[in-house]
Amino acid sequence: MIQLNKNYSLPDALAESVPVKVVSVGGAGLNALDRIVLDGLEKASVVAINTDVQSLTSSVAAHKVQLGRTRTRGLGTGGDPELGFEAAVESADEIREALTDTRMVFVCAGLGGGTGSGAAPYVAQLAREAGALVIAFLTLPFTFEGKRRTAQARGALARLNEIAHSVICFENDRMGDLVAPQAGIHQAFAMADTTISQSVRSIVNLIQRPGLIRIGFDDLLAALRMRNGRCLFGFGESDSDNRAHDALTQALKNPLMDRGRMLADATNLLVQVAGGPRMTLSEVEVLMQELGRHVNEQTQILFGAVVDGKLGDRLTVTIISSLAAEEDLIPQSRDGGMLSNVSAQQPVREQHPAPQIHIEPESAAMESVPPVESIPFEEPLAAEATPAAAYLPTEPEPLPVAPQNKAAWRKEEKLPTEKSSPAKQEILQFEPVTRGRFEKSEPTMEEGEDLDVPTYLRKNIKVK
Amino acid sequence: MVGLEIGTSKICVVVGEGRPDGTIKILGVGQAPSRGVRKGEIVDFETAMKCVHEAVVDAEQKSDVMIRSVYVAVAGSHLQSFNNRGCVMLAEDRDEIDERDVEDVKINAREVSIPAQNAFLHSIIQHYQVDGQDGVLNPIGMLGQKLEADFHIIHGVRTRIQNTIRCVKELPLDVEDVVFGGLASAQVVLTQHQKDLGALVIDMGGGTTDYVLYADGAVKQSGCLALGGDHITNDISMGLRIPMARAEKLKIEEGSCTLGNCLPGEMILLKDDSGFAGKEIEREMLNTIIHLRVREGFELLKRRLEEEPYLSYLGAGIFITGGCSLLSGIDHLAGEIFEIPANLAHAQTTWGVTSAVEDPKFSTAIGLVRFAQVMQTDRPPRRLGRIFGRLFSGMR
Repeated sequence: MIQLNKNYSLPDALAESVPVKVVSVGGAGLNALDRIVLDGLEKASVVAINTDVQSLTSSVAAHKVQLGRTRTRGLGTGGDPELGFEAAVESADEIREALTDTRMVFVCAGLGGGTGSGAAPYVAQLAREAGALVIAFLTLPFTFEGKRRTAQARGALARLNEIAHSVICFENDRMGDLVAPQAGIHQAFAMADTTISQSVRSIVNLIQRPGLIRIGFDDLLAALRMRNGRCLFGFGESDSDNRAHDALTQALKNPLMDRGRMLADATNLLVQVAGGPRMTLSEVEVLMQELGRHVNEQTQILFGAVVDGKLGDRLTVTIISSLAAEEDLIPQSRDGGMLSNVSAQQPVREQHPAPQIHIEPESAAMESVPPVESIPFEEPLAAEATPAAAYLPTEPEPLPVAPQNKAAWRKEEKLPTEKSSPAKQEILQFEPVTRGRFEKSEPTMEEGEDLDVPTYLRKNIKVK
Repeated sequence: MVGLEIGTSKICVVVGEGRPDGTIKILGVGQAPSRGVRKGEIVDFETAMKCVHEAVVDAEQKSDVMIRSVYVAVAGSHLQSFNNRGCVMLAEDRDEIDERDVEDVKINAREVSIPAQNAFLHSIIQHYQVDGQDGVLNPIGMLGQKLEADFHIIHGVRTRIQNTIRCVKELPLDVEDVVFGGLASAQVVLTQHQKDLGALVIDMGGGTTDYVLYADGAVKQSGCLALGGDHITNDISMGLRIPMARAEKLKIEEGSCTLGNCLPGEMILLKDDSGFAGKEIEREMLNTIIHLRVREGFELLKRRLEEEPYLSYLGAGIFITGGCSLLSGIDHLAGEIFEIPANLAHAQTTWGVTSAVEDPKFSTAIGLVRFAQVMQTDRPPRRLGRIFGRLFSGMR
């Protein structure tokens, strides 16, 4: 802990270009913040905000704000967002003070509990009033934490969507995908913290690093422009021989990326590649080409490249984008367990944009306080990345390549003089259709169809 | 009495004897895999002949009967059918209808134009009408001036039917009669009661699907669709890119025409073999291919049958027999498409070699024996050699 002092005493001096503050609200937020600090964040100051004094004292953050000194008297909110909100209102001045002189505020919170759901929107609002760009990093509770918590989380999310300039939301359910099934529950919770930490650090780095091709505030805003959008975020890091490829694979493997499939719909895509002095142009080229297969042609790619001596042999890729909120898109892209829940909660979210939900003391017992343990966080991620590395790049490859080849082949082989669209040629089949073992027998013609040709071929039903 | 069916996938010979009570006792069943037959018709004469010989020898051994003459089933897409009415006026001086008049009306009913190369296979009486009185079953002895008769006539291309006959005669065996396969199957699959109620027999074999529709105890529609199990196998072979023999085995062992009945991603492992590297096949894919083919066949059949209104008069339902009826779920699929309850059926009212009786694959061959029995009791003095142009009034 003492060693870390260095880390969080430095930022104020260093962040001269853009003063950035990372603010965590609530228990889950604190855990994430601890993770961020432990992982090392040099160019931003951190502020921990909570109602619960106990968790505040154990936090490694330098600047701490206790909410609701009289309202909750140093205890938690017991899962009641209204109480969290009131506590935040009570301590509004302290929060404002903590948020002065920043141009960018990251609000980290775990939604679902009292402080996170209740106070985080308010903190975001204060930050915005102070003139800062607000980006919220949120986690949604696990489905098994109950529908009520999910509802609270959805309410808070809707509110934060209105207040914050951008919302990056992680579903804890999806974190489960990253963790091996046998791994302990603490790993699953820790994974959420790690992911938040990674994304906060990478965004801070993105803005603060002096780049060869610089990515600024404006680029970030452009990438995240979609209001109420679904944020796509991916971060990958690798120092292997094939680091460009591995880093991208890892970035696409991020739970918010859906293996790069979501990228196809993005209009703006921000990519930053950072590496040590030995990063080569060809590596960047390879990486961008590979990424290019996942996006469609209209997508504007905001590209940034950074050389940072501290990275050594490592190469990192950060991908940020957002999708317009399409109601039908969201349930589709989410995992099974969450699916029913999401659709069930959708109306709630629309009807009550504010998190003020009637009080129900029974559910107070559970506060999402993920246990903080020092686990080798990078390891499961890296281990997971290896099989995916073999799988991922092969999958998208044929898609863009094959049609090109076909078209070229057609032009040469078949009709060089005739001008017709390739789609039309696809339909016309000049070659005799296959009849298999009935090749030599009299065709069974019925209603103009040759029944010897397999039904699935005639009906154009795809098998395989 | 011996029934011989030269099928697309197998040739089978059933030896049976008729019992006085109208049942049949099966003495033995001989069979041999069929080669040189496609869609119910012989395409390779020599090979087919060898196979028939094999099956006949097999049957002789099993039943300990010397086979001299057989009833042969024919199939093929060239077979066609229609309903026609014959009419005769009685002479002025008498008003009692006798056998001569009945013969005349049959001849009259056949006086319709069929293509020159075609020959009559069956003329099956449906009803007689005496002076406009409908639904007369036996007009002999009735009084009237005008006798009319509705017949269901099945005809086919003469040369094609002769091919089958020649194949048997070269063995040499006598051909007692040729019978449309579907009609033979219906004789053992349906009881008289079911025929009266109305029933549709679908005999789905290897190369063809024969169908016979009964209403009011008489054949109303019949025909042959050159579509069968071979097509399913061919589809599987092409769709999954496996050899025909493998596809056939897979169809028999694993195939089903029910969709959505397997776990997502459920795979079937095909073991490797000489000349065939092992392969994993998605079960849903297999079933989809089968389902599409069978569904198409039934839909086609339904459209054919809907040309006449009898489909809605089926009181007893649909009876599916033949080798393809062993495909799991086929009865449900048929029921779903025709919107009539469908059952799987095999030869009834027979006894003897039960394993053969209970196998729908032998329905046609057993049916031939039954057909022979009816023939023989109806008209004992047979005139051999007159295969064509015979009228079978006994078949109802």
